[in-house]
Amino acid sequence: MAAVEPVGSPGGDCGSADVAALIPLVRRIVASRVPDPATADDLVQETLTRVLAAAGRVEPGMLEPYAIVTARNVVTSMWRDQDRQRRHQHRVVDLRPPEAPDEDVLAREDRAAVAEALTRLSDRERATLLAHEVSGQDTRSLAAELGSTAGAVAAQLNRTRARLRVEYLLVSERVEPPTERCRPVLLAISSGDRRRQREVDAARHLLECGLCARLSEPLVGRGRSRDDAVRVAVRTDADVVAARQAAREVATRLGFSTTDVTLIATAVSEITRNIVRFADSGEVVVTELQEPRRGISIVARDAGPGIPDVDQALQDGYSTYHGLGLGLPGARRLMDEFAVVSETGRGTTVTMTKWRGEG
Amino acid sequence: MNGGPRLFSILRQGPYLIASIHTALDDSQLVRFQQDLVERIGSDRARGVVIDVAALDVLDSFASRTLRDIGEMARLRGAVTVIVGIQPDVAFAMVELGMDTGRVVTALDLEEGLAELDSCLAAPPAPRT
Ligand SMILES: [Zn+2]
Repeated sequence: MAAVEPVGSPGGDCGSADVAALIPLVRRIVASRVPDPATADDLVQETLTRVLAAAGRVEPGMLEPYAIVTARNVVTSMWRDQDRQRRHQHRVVDLRPPEAPDEDVLAREDRAAVAEALTRLSDRERATLLAHEVSGQDTRSLAAELGSTAGAVAAQLNRTRARLRVEYLLVSERVEPPTERCRPVLLAISSGDRRRQREVDAARHLLECGLCARLSEPLVGRGRSRDDAVRVAVRTDADVVAARQAAREVATRLGFSTTDVTLIATAVSEITRNIVRFADSGEVVVTELQEPRRGISIVARDAGPGIPDVDQALQDGYSTYHGLGLGLPGARRLMDEFAVVSETGRGTTVTMTKWRGEG
Repeated sequence: MNGGPRLFSILRQGPYLIASIHTALDDSQLVRFQQDLVERIGSDRARGVVIDVAALDVLDSFASRTLRDIGEMARLRGAVTVIVGIQPDVAFAMVELGMDTGRVVTALDLEEGLAELDSCLAAPPAPRT
């Protein structure tokens, strides 16, 4: 790694550096990855703009490493943008169960089934899902438009995807469910929501209803198998380290960049610490996701006192003031999707996901 | 840490202390590190401290705050603190997390950290305004 000229101003602040001094370093990093000089110039500018915007939050000595990683990320996201069209096309079609045959005629029918299933969503559900999956809009900006929170949008997206899978199966099997209870049961299974499954007595319905028994199989098998999950029991400080190292291993195996691996490990550290601090015990489950894309899901749950006002706890400032550390809002910034469910007196579950960029 | 491998070491070099963390530390181990180091700064009358954190896997909110606190306590005892060995990815995560690293001075590696201490201590104190 190349070092920037040390800017030692005698008598001044020790370790101060300024953004202009970073330009040669950023140029070198970008030029080594991007051959076209005009494109490289744009990316250098974008990097410097981002570094400048962050400069107020970054301690001077940290500017250089921050600039290095930002430059790498800017280059990577350019590659990703070039790929976006193909990638997002893919993602909608990827809602198919993995075993779907790829023969042309079947593929066409399959697209028709996805399209038909999409019409069965509410306008709002469909608009949000497409904005996220096809246009690549992130949950935070969606939340701003909808007057909601990113966590709520992420949870809503998960429910919408679950509903879309159910409708897709019904369309492609050309069946209408025989009873009123079928859709709620299939939806609870599709979203993997254990509590909801108990509420609608899903297990009993599957014994009674042949159609749901058959359809539930691809829904349960979808994307994740229990073998992909790593479970860490959390009681003590040492378990916080164990949990973040488990997440690091899974993320590395999934091919995440070292930057992303560190972001994930840091987020896991924050939310696991909350378990140790505020509940007696709990667990962290790290799961590999294959559908609709490769990614990592982390669920941290405890049976502690719960958080009385989740929206408030997700705001910066609130949590530091009330001694929760940067836990929730900080971790949320590091992940793509983030949802907190908490019930006073019953406990808290934090679910967070990071998706892998194409690589 | 009874009988286990050393989690960290604190060595004296002239007027400076060199504190090296050898592995990922949990919160209570970080607190012990802080206590030991601050105690040594007092007993050794150190004028500068270099903390090598290259072995830390993450610098989350607790670890960042601990380092910042060490820097503050050292300053009250008349010593300058320089943190070395923060990996670029770790630094990036700290910023994304929203950590305010405060007045802690950082340098690339031990050698630069010691040079930084030399120049800080050689320079006359910044004029107060
Ligand atoms: Zn049924």
